[in-house]
Amino acid sequence: MISKVKNSRLLLFLLVGVAVAGIFLLANQGKALALDENNCLACHGNPDRTKQLSDGIVISLYVDETGVASAAHRFIDCTDCHGTAPHAEASPLSKLSLAEKCGTCHAYEYKQHLASVHGQQLAIGNEDVATCVDCHSPTSNPHSVIRVLESNSPAYKKNIAQTCARCHQNSELMGNYGIVERVYESYMRSFHGKAIQLGATELSQLSQATCTNCHGVHDIKNTHDPASPVNGVQNLAVTCEQCHPGAGEQFAAGFLGHREASVDNVPAAHYAENLFRTLLISVISFGVVVVVGAVTRFSINRWKD
Amino acid sequence: MAEVAATLASREVGVKLKRFDVHQIIQHGGMAVSFVMLVITGLPMKFNSWPVSVWWAGVWGGVGNLRATHHFFAWMMVIVCVYHLAYLLYTLLILKRPFPVKMLPSAWDFITLFQEFKYFIGLRKERPDYDRFNWREKFDYWAIFWGIPVMAGSGFVLMYPVFVTQHLPGWLVTVAYVAHSDEAMLALTWIFMVHIFFAHLSPGVFPMNTSIFTGKVSREQYRREHPKELRSIEGETPQA
Repeated sequence: MISKVKNSRLLLFLLVGVAVAGIFLLANQGKALALDENNCLACHGNPDRTKQLSDGIVISLYVDETGVASAAHRFIDCTDCHGTAPHAEASPLSKLSLAEKCGTCHAYEYKQHLASVHGQQLAIGNEDVATCVDCHSPTSNPHSVIRVLESNSPAYKKNIAQTCARCHQNSELMGNYGIVERVYESYMRSFHGKAIQLGATELSQLSQATCTNCHGVHDIKNTHDPASPVNGVQNLAVTCEQCHPGAGEQFAAGFLGHREASVDNVPAAHYAENLFRTLLISVISFGVVVVVGAVTRFSINRWKD
Repeated sequence: MAEVAATLASREVGVKLKRFDVHQIIQHGGMAVSFVMLVITGLPMKFNSWPVSVWWAGVWGGVGNLRATHHFFAWMMVIVCVYHLAYLLYTLLILKRPFPVKMLPSAWDFITLFQEFKYFIGLRKERPDYDRFNWREKFDYWAIFWGIPVMAGSGFVLMYPVFVTQHLPGWLVTVAYVAHSDEAMLALTWIFMVHIFFAHLSPGVFPMNTSIFTGKVSREQYRREHPKELRSIEGETPQA
């Protein structure tokens, strides 16, 4: 039989145990838990670590430990990507060589990427376009790639439009490639954009269409490429039908193509806009005149009384 | 009986006149309820980028529930309109009542509109001599005859875009999107600015005009708002 004294001692143990566990958990919050067999982070975890290249340019050699700890590859050792003798290499990985390195494991995605509009531009040395980490890391940093089904991943369904917009909303950059459409804004005005934005639960957002549902993912093509799923009304109709069973070419033909309606682009919608704007403005202006007139008169009447 | 008549006569001030029958009360109520529900479920879908819309959609459990509720009250509004047309035919064909010509727009409405503006700017002492319906009431009524086909027609296209484009051209969906959005803004601005102001917030009826909910209007209010009609009613059945 446990005495009263022992009871209170047990309670003390419990409280101390909870406190110790709590302090332990709090102290270890956000602490790096990544595989680092050669202790690379002992040096490269220092934010001030830099290196001067032969042409005088100073580059940072810093690797953010917290980013690595939450990354998809946190249990893959540094040397898997950087080689067993990284210090012997002048520049281990660059924007142009990164995709090939990712492709040593992700062979299927790499093959698709090579045939995509982004991959083909990288192949001819154009660093404007997106490579793997531009869509898979929030900071375009290979050390903080996040798995697609984690909600803070830039490739997670509800984040994809914003991720594409990082480049495609930059009108100066897009102007260099003749892309004048404000694709992000027009998407957010569409039913698809509204459904993502007002989806409320992440589960319901996963089934909604975003950029990649129509344009493709790793194999994304120039829209003028006949192989693009959105090239021409025939291809577009097939793409629509993936989610809208029975959708035909007329269904696809109503799409404004991320542009405003005009006399050349779905003219009926352009005339409808003009008609309804005119109606809205004239009727509401009339209403304002009537209400303001009435309020003024009623106020004067009251003041006279 | 004589006692009752005497009591009524002595409370002449409290006399109420019947203005709407039970069908009209139900039609207005159904229209008001479905209109408010359509507005509060439709606005967050139009202004989806506003933080308040994201919050409000979350309260409803997401855009799926907003759309389902919007569709439900859209059908309710259509049913109210069908009810109104059926009621109109019933009064004409079965009850053999005369056609309600007093609801038709006429040149007199433009004259009273002009007179009302003159009253507002102080060129006229009295408000116009309104009959059963003033120009604002007629405007509200006929606006629904224009608005319902536009809203229900475009709404149907947006609800069943695949079905519609299997039979009709694809630009209809794009046009329906524009029409539904803009016509909705027109309707809700007019209702909340003009209709609610004159029917409920203006002097004499503030804070609320209960006639459309009870069907009855006090004689005092009738004299103020529809003097011409009151004279014709009382001409036929003189007040005791």
